[in-house]
Amino acid sequence: MVATIPVMAIVALFVFSLLYIAPGDPAAVIAGEQASPEDVEKIRRNLGLDRPFVTRFGEWSWQILHGDLGTSMFTGLPVTTLIAQRLEPTLSLMMVTLILSVTIAVPMGVIAAWKAGTWIDRGLMAFAVFGFSVPVFVVGYVLAYIFALELDWLPVQGYTPLARGFGPWIENLILPSVALGCVYIALIARITRASMLEVLQQDYIRTARSKGMGQRGILFVHALKNAAVPIVTVIGIGIALLIGGAVVTESVFAIPGLGRLTVDAILRRDYPVIQGVVLLFSFVYVLVNLAVDLLYTVLDPRIRY
Amino acid sequence: MPDVLPPVKVRRGLVGFMYRYPTIAFGGALLLAMLLIAVLAPYLGTVDPTALAPAKRTRSPSAEYWFGTDMFGRDIYSRVLYGTRISLMVGLSVAVLASMAGLIVGLVSGFVRWADGIIMRIMDGMMSIPPILLAITLMALTRASVSNVITAITIAEFPRVARLVRSVVLSLREQPYVDAAVAAGTRTPMIIMRHILPNTLAPMTVQATYICASAIIVEAILSFIGAGTPPTNPSWGNIMADGRALWQVKPFIVFFPALFLSLTVLAVNLLGDGLRDMLDPRMAKRL
Repeated sequence: MVATIPVMAIVALFVFSLLYIAPGDPAAVIAGEQASPEDVEKIRRNLGLDRPFVTRFGEWSWQILHGDLGTSMFTGLPVTTLIAQRLEPTLSLMMVTLILSVTIAVPMGVIAAWKAGTWIDRGLMAFAVFGFSVPVFVVGYVLAYIFALELDWLPVQGYTPLARGFGPWIENLILPSVALGCVYIALIARITRASMLEVLQQDYIRTARSKGMGQRGILFVHALKNAAVPIVTVIGIGIALLIGGAVVTESVFAIPGLGRLTVDAILRRDYPVIQGVVLLFSFVYVLVNLAVDLLYTVLDPRIRY
Repeated sequence: MPDVLPPVKVRRGLVGFMYRYPTIAFGGALLLAMLLIAVLAPYLGTVDPTALAPAKRTRSPSAEYWFGTDMFGRDIYSRVLYGTRISLMVGLSVAVLASMAGLIVGLVSGFVRWADGIIMRIMDGMMSIPPILLAITLMALTRASVSNVITAITIAEFPRVARLVRSVVLSLREQPYVDAAVAAGTRTPMIIMRHILPNTLAPMTVQATYICASAIIVEAILSFIGAGTPPTNPSWGNIMADGRALWQVKPFIVFFPALFLSLTVLAVNLLGDGLRDMLDPRMAKRL
């Protein structure tokens, strides 16, 4: 748990250096086209851009710790405001994807392990290989083409806030979530199968079976519980896939979330925004994995910290 | 007891290999086909992939334009075939470079104990930034060019290799034969050459194929959002980015590069799965 602090510090240092070495002079950008070199120099001194790296990193970290991520070079708005505006769509997309993926992938892996070696297992695992191989935007376009354009069941793109009702909200999120979830489902299903196969060979499974316990009880009560640690781990690690994939999915489905904010910021070279978003995503990722570490103790009381 | 046990039929040669490792055979063949397409792109009935023909914009696939034309009248068939070059180049370069960088960092971390803590914390920090996001950010710092794309993806991917190599080194250092070598006065470089490298080769090869697949996808994503290969070069991500505005009416512009991209990544992934099963039979039973 204490280990997350140095990791976050290194992420912060890394992200800060990125802005530090970024081409282009923020002072010149703020001063505008007509500014004289003296004006630019004055702004640079006012902003403290002429001070050494370590001092600036210290001050920047201090700001971050106080919830100030700086100001967008393009819109002039605070980065925290921009992020807050775009948070809901991304959060919705990721939550729906997470729930959808776990509810599909875990039973898939359990069934594949139970029917190991049969055509059901092969079919499910072949699907998993495809899930790995077809990039998220390809799945997105194919799904949108079939279900939105041809069949006209779901909206093609866009986002409706949750405030306008659950129905329209989820309708807009189904296709992006399935597209984004594909890789994630493949990953979780594979690990679930591997972990379950190992557990199903244990003696206590044979004991449970000889006691006359039903197949479903064995699989989901005895086996899955003991197979849970690697599954939960990969769910945590896989959040990185979701974050990376969200950037692309939001572009495909025109969802006005953090991913779009990132892409726009990159095309405009708006470094403070890039910095803020990367920092936020990395922070979330580290926190999720910390939560996973803590969850181990619940799932497996033998693990202690 | 004659005739009780049926004779074990051992197939040898290429056929036997394909029989035992169908995924390697299939993935390898598909990848080989893509490599041939990349090398032979100019001789496969292609025209200049950047030639504009404003009069022939967004033609549907036909005998003349097999995959149709895009909004500037460029031939999509030619663009997709030339795009194979960029994807494979990025995939293979990243796989090799990330393996080399990861190997060096992992070896240093595994052997130089005082540096281990610092190096691994830095790797942890880098790994806690999602790889696509890290690659996108690095691309925002530099000009769009193929070599910058390769560098950015390599930086995003190599910490994973470093971790893997380090873990192999640490477990090998406990092996009796390494202890024996140390006791016999073998120098560290010799131990690395004789004992460590041969044992890291197998897991690294498997890891490299997965990195290759991931790099091909990341390149396409970077180009797709406009932060990757420069728009003048035909790459699959760029072609799809061009077709993005029109995809509801002209889906074929996005479809063909998407198909090639998926097939290539599938080929590399199958090869990786097959290699893993072949090189580590213990894992084959588990995954």
